Amino acid sequence: MSATAPGHAGLRQTPAAPAGKASRGRRSALLAPVTAGVIIVLGWQLAASAFAPSYIARPLQTLREFPAVLGDGQFLSATASTLLAVLEGLVIAVLAGTAIGLVMGRMRGIDRLLRLYVDSFYAMPLVALVPLLTVWFGYTPAARLAVVVIEAALPIVYSVAEGGRHLDSSYIDVTRAYRAPWWRVWTGVALPASMPYLLGGIDLAVGRALIGAVVVEFIAGLNGLGYYILFHVRSFQQDKAMVAVCVLVVFALVLRRAVGAAVRRGLPWYQGT
Amino acid sequence: MPLSDWRWRAAAGYAVGLIGGAIAWQIVGWHSASYVFVPLTTTLDRLGQLISDGSLPRALAASFSVYGVGVVLAIVSGAVGGLAFARRAILRQALEPYLIALYAVPMVALIPFLLALIGYGFWPKVIVVWLFAVFPVHFSTQRGAESTPPELIDVARSFRSSERATWWHVVIPYTLPFLMTGVRQALARGLVGMIAAEFFLSAAGLGSLLITQSEQFDTAGMLATTLVITLIGVGLMAIGRYIEARFARWRVQP
Repeated sequence: MSATAPGHAGLRQTPAAPAGKASRGRRSALLAPVTAGVIIVLGWQLAASAFAPSYIARPLQTLREFPAVLGDGQFLSATASTLLAVLEGLVIAVLAGTAIGLVMGRMRGIDRLLRLYVDSFYAMPLVALVPLLTVWFGYTPAARLAVVVIEAALPIVYSVAEGGRHLDSSYIDVTRAYRAPWWRVWTGVALPASMPYLLGGIDLAVGRALIGAVVVEFIAGLNGLGYYILFHVRSFQQDKAMVAVCVLVVFALVLRRAVGAAVRRGLPWYQGT
Repeated sequence: MPLSDWRWRAAAGYAVGLIGGAIAWQIVGWHSASYVFVPLTTTLDRLGQLISDGSLPRALAASFSVYGVGVVLAIVSGAVGGLAFARRAILRQALEPYLIALYAVPMVALIPFLLALIGYGFWPKVIVVWLFAVFPVHFSTQRGAESTPPELIDVARSFRSSERATWWHVVIPYTLPFLMTGVRQALARGLVGMIAAEFFLSAAGLGSLLITQSEQFDTAGMLATTLVITLIGVGLMAIGRYIEARFARWRVQP
């Protein structure tokens, strides 16, 4: 009865699968998501037309809005504003976060001084700082940048410090044996060894940075995709707002892929998992 | 002796960090305008006021009812969904791409849509918390259930274990540690969702308290509320880690 061939992924395959299942499986691997997509879109479309007021977003109208919205100057300026702020914040967070994380990971005294604060801020919902930061920076792009940097830096500091702590001590012994100057230990050993951890931190940072940026734009009414969404939902143009949500999703996915690809290309010693 | 010496040093390091932070807070507070930053002592005074006038306890009660319902729903539906996806290839093939795309949505961006659709109140906030919390539970449950070693299932089957018994005695126990990793993430993400939802969807709760305080330039109040939120975050993280570590013992050693 238990005729599962070795290597089968357990529950994925029912035992005693009939011959020809594999090719049927491959076809359904394409067919199933397409069918499901059509069902979701049609179901949403029909449910919205039947039960919801006309301003509620519908997938087909959203699709129809795409070309118009993507060519709209207001939309482009909002997109550029949010995306550039997120990129700028991520770059600052990566540089500062890696430096702080490495120092914490390698110097136990500093780690003990700062650990409590990094752990606490990492555990708390950082969006709670947005009202305070808007009082400090005003309703300006600087407030958004500050939120993005804080949101993105914490996971990076946290995981780079983790990497520094787990650095294989035999590497350090080798640098000692060859009398390497102290800065070579940092740049030549500690920094490269923490890169996989940095990648993990950035992966978390992207999503958090976007959430932070959108929350500030909602609260402060700053030009950006978040405010574009808020404004168009309020003025009963949800289809346009939906386009902005799609752009946010694509940006998040592309950014995370790009970081992964860049790290793999630029860091040949990183094997990846 | 060296171990206790090491412990003593670690404790001293943390204590210096804590006391140094408190002193820095106090000094910076003395030298800043009161709408920018206030000393620690003023913050604690304000915290006492917020507790005694009832506004903080009320906000906590409102927040935690939303958070509790949202997170519990997320854990239940994420666990059921994850198991179903692991079990039924058709579900996984059909819906997984959409779930991954949905997971990438910055959920706060959906808040205006929810507001337009269902308005203010309790349930829209619960939905936001659920949206923030459900995906990590779903994906880690699915990963856990999919990785159940086939040998275990084969053994159960060869003892003529029924489908249901296989699930109860093999798959679900094997999956629980993975589920708990998802629960830990859900606890943290749900809190973010709760604060964000209360910023925009309510006249109650910690998030709404913060907004009111910022509109009144009540910096002491904001710092006090943020301090409370930080303690809640740290506490929930500790609970999550504890649960995860407890169930990690079940993890089958490779």
